[in-house]
Parts: sequence; structure tokens; C-alpha cells
Amino acid sequence: MHGLFRWSSKWWPGVIPLAIVWALAAWISTSPMEADLAARSNAALKDTLLDQTSIEVSGRDVTFTANAFSEDGRRSAVAVLQSVAGVRLVNDESRLVPEAKPFVWSAERDVARVTLSGNSPLPATKGKLLDAARATLAGVEVVDQMKLSRGAPPRFDTAALLLVEQIGKLKDGKVILSDNSVTLSGMARDLGGREAIAAALKNLPDGFSVAANDIKAPPYVFQANKDPVTVTLTMSGYVPDNNVHATIAAAAARKFFGEKIVDNVKASMGAPSRFLNAVVPALGALSRLSTGTLVVTDREVKISGDALYEAAVPQIRASLAKDSPEGWQITTELSVKPAAAPVDPGVCQQLFLELLAKGKIRFEPGRASIDPDSAGLLDRLIEIAMRCPTANIDIAGHTDADGEDAFNQALSEKRAQAVTDYLVKAGLPAGRFTALGYGSSQPVASNDTDEGKAQNRRIEFLVR
Amino acid sequence: MGFLVIFNWSWLLLSVLLGFAMGWIAVVHRGRGVSKRTSQWLALLAVAVVAAALAHLIPGRPGYWLDLAMLIFAMYILGCAAGSWLRERVLARVTPTS
Repeated sequence: MHGLFRWSSKWWPGVIPLAIVWALAAWISTSPMEADLAARSNAALKDTLLDQTSIEVSGRDVTFTANAFSEDGRRSAVAVLQSVAGVRLVNDESRLVPEAKPFVWSAERDVARVTLSGNSPLPATKGKLLDAARATLAGVEVVDQMKLSRGAPPRFDTAALLLVEQIGKLKDGKVILSDNSVTLSGMARDLGGREAIAAALKNLPDGFSVAANDIKAPPYVFQANKDPVTVTLTMSGYVPDNNVHATIAAAAARKFFGEKIVDNVKASMGAPSRFLNAVVPALGALSRLSTGTLVVTDREVKISGDALYEAAVPQIRASLAKDSPEGWQITTELSVKPAAAPVDPGVCQQLFLELLAKGKIRFEPGRASIDPDSAGLLDRLIEIAMRCPTANIDIAGHTDADGEDAFNQALSEKRAQAVTDYLVKAGLPAGRFTALGYGSSQPVASNDTDEGKAQNRRIEFLVR
Repeated sequence: MGFLVIFNWSWLLLSVLLGFAMGWIAVVHRGRGVSKRTSQWLALLAVAVVAAALAHLIPGRPGYWLDLAMLIFAMYILGCAAGSWLRERVLARVTPTS
């Protein structure tokens, strides 16, 4: 041992190459070692609940920056880092995420996007809410403006997820969750949406309550559009139920004899009272227009378009006012279609035949009263008659063979006269028309079948 | 410490070998060694440096370099001791026969 001390006084020359070894080791190993420590520190924190975690390593010292969600979580993260092999010191620069008071979270929907904002307790909750919003509103942009905060009420996740589902039922609006109270505003996307949201809110977790639910139901709209170019009647919007739907479809088929009917109507609750009584006469009015639109919104009927001739405008207004239910507001914006060019009497005859081949003037059974459903057809006949002002026209009534001949003869005459009167009321000179009745003497089909009888009951226009 | 040894084993091995070589030579070296007084100062310096390292007084990279220096130096001393002791044993075995 004594020798060691003696010899040690001569060991110093090796210190010079040793210093070079040390310098080289420091030069070469520092960066890889820091990278190794950083990787293992990050891996150690992988399962720790933190936000905005940052690890910086200088030598063997780790500077730890993060937002923690609890004091325990913060302490345990520091302990985890201290236990990483090779770490000498942990500079703890972590802090707790701020506490929100009140803890407010909101979801807002407009036409193109849904914005989730306010506070969220944990990153996982934030992710869940965003996923739920994307799933509920497929195709709608979901914008995340949520920040992480402490102080969420218990069962916040369940409540917020339920509210995200409700946002899917809104056309536009906002849902705010402030501590335990929920405020909703906006407009439901579908009829019945408001009720569905109110029902869903009953499933809010214990402790949560609805402070205000100002969700409005969308207006109850029924719409019909008559397009003369495509010869189409398009109906859309809502009707109260399938029975009313069938009734309206049947009325449209009777009134719009030449048009193709496109029916996009859906059944939904929430209709104003006497909806059907308002829609059917309004469809009648629309059938008398060359081109037009009918909009039934809540208790308002709005009809706009072009009538076929001047006198039809006040008639349409008057019949709408008379036939619409009480308490309904009627708005008409009617103009008159420019008169079509005059044609020869021969052309007129051809036009009458073509039109009457598509639709028949209907009467009440056994009587000479014109069925209101035929108003559209009569207006088109009047329009044709106006195009040949010099032609005189015989209006011939025919019946089927049921009943007594004398009755049928009288009925056919009365019906022909009713049509003549209608034309005269429209402003055509009475002298141009002669009403003739032929009873059942000139059948065009067999009277043995209902179909044949229907063909025999007819009004013909004959240009002289 | 274990981490430092594992991570820098090659440098430490080099230090041990260097020390061993120096220790081997020192036994037969005829030059002057450091004086007793200087040795005492150097020992004091070594104690101060070790204390600084253990107390983690120097932060960051310089702190790591200090730890590394201590370790390398310790390995060197061990190498020197082993080298001198072994050389001395070798000489002791040779001398009686010669």
C-alpha cells in the first residue's frame, strides 16, 4: 500500500491524455445521451394524463413543462421522470390547467359547420365530443375551439355527449352547458325535432337541469309549383298524415288534368288546424294559373303566378277568400299571362279537341253544376276561345243512357248552358256560343260499361 | 451512475487502460513525482470536485461533463493502481531469481 502512494506521485503524466479522452467523450456522447434520455422520459410519461407536455434535456437534467389536470397527476409525473435511469435532476416547470368557474361548454351550429367551444375537462373528453359531433353530423365541418380546464361538474361527459346529439337535430342554434345547467336556442331541422330534443333532455344525468329551451320548430310549409314548360306540378313540404296526403294527391290529380305530378310531400305532425280545407281550394286556384307557386306556411296561403285571362284574377281571389277556412290569411300576387296569338277557327277546333281529349268538364252527379275541379280546364278552353274571336262555337252536352231520355235531354242542355254561362262570365260574347243538348242520342262508347258511360258523359266544343 | 458507466463504457475502458499503462510505467519511472504538498492540494481539489458533483451544484451539460470527468478520472486511478501493483508483483518475482 505504501508503494501505491509512492508510485501515485508519478501517475500525473497520464492526466494529459486522460483530459483528451474526457474532452472527446464529452464531445461525442453528450448529444446522443440527451436524445436517449429525452426519448425514455417521453416514453415514461406516455400513460400520464397531461396536456402540452414538453421535455427538454440538457446534460442529464430534464426540464419538464406540461399542464396537469390535478396536483397528484403533476407530482406523479415528476416522480416518473425522476425514476428514469440516467436522469440526474428534474426541473419541474409544469403547472395545473386553469380552473374554469363557471365551467362553460357550448356547441353552436350554423348552415355549414358546428363549432364546439368553451371548456373541456380532459383531452380524451374533447376527442370523444369531436368524434360524436362528426358521427352525428356527417358531412358537416366540425370546428374545435375547446380549451382544457379544471372544474367540470361530475358526469360532464355524458351530459355533453347527449347535447352533441341534440345539435344534430338543429338547423341552426346553440347549446350551452354552464356548470349543471343547459340552455338551448335555435331552430329544429325537422318538424318534430323540437319535441324530440325536449324528450332527449329528460335523459340528462342526475344533477343537470335545463335552464332554458328556446328551440323553435321550423315553419309548417306546404308548397306546390306549376311549371308550364315541363308541364309539371311539383308538391313538397309537409302534410299532417297519410290520409291527408292521399286526399291532396287525389285533388291534385283531378284539378291538374294535363300535368305530370311530382309528389315530394312528407307526413309530419305540427300542421295548423284545417290544413286540408286550406290546401285543396288553394290547389284549385293554382290549377287555374298558367304558371304559379303556392306556399302554405302555418296559417297563411300565398299564391302567385299568371292567370290565363283578365277576368280569372278576381274570380280566383274571390273563390280563395270564400273557400279558405276562417282565420287563414290569403295573399295573392296574380298577373295575367300575355294573350296568345290569334289563330284560324280550324286551329281552334283542333286545340279544343286536343284539350278535351286530355280532360273532361265534370259536373255534380245528375246536376248541371260544374265541378270546381274543372275550373283549370275551363280556363284553358276560354283561352283557346279567345284566340279565335271570329269563330262561333256550338257547346254540345251529352249524357250516358242511364235514366229517362227526357231527363237526360234536359240535363245535357242544362250542362251545355252552364258551360256557356261560364264562358260568358269570363268576358266572351254570349252571341258566339250556342248551347245544345243531345241527351244520350250520340254515344261515343258502349253504355254497357261504366267506362263507356263515362266517355259518353261529355261536353264538346264544335267550331262552326 | 450505472447509466453513465453503461453509456460511456468504451471511454471508461480507454481510461482504465491508459491508467494501467501509466501505473505500469510509474513503478520503474525515474523522473520526479509531484511533491507531497501538491498532492495534498490535488487531493483537496478532488474532494471539492466530488462534493460539487454529488451536490449537483453545476447544472446542465457542464454538470454532466463534471460527472464524466470524475468517472474517467476514477477509472484512470483504478487503472494506475492496478498497473503499478501488478508491475511491482512482477518485479518482486523477477528480483530473487536474478
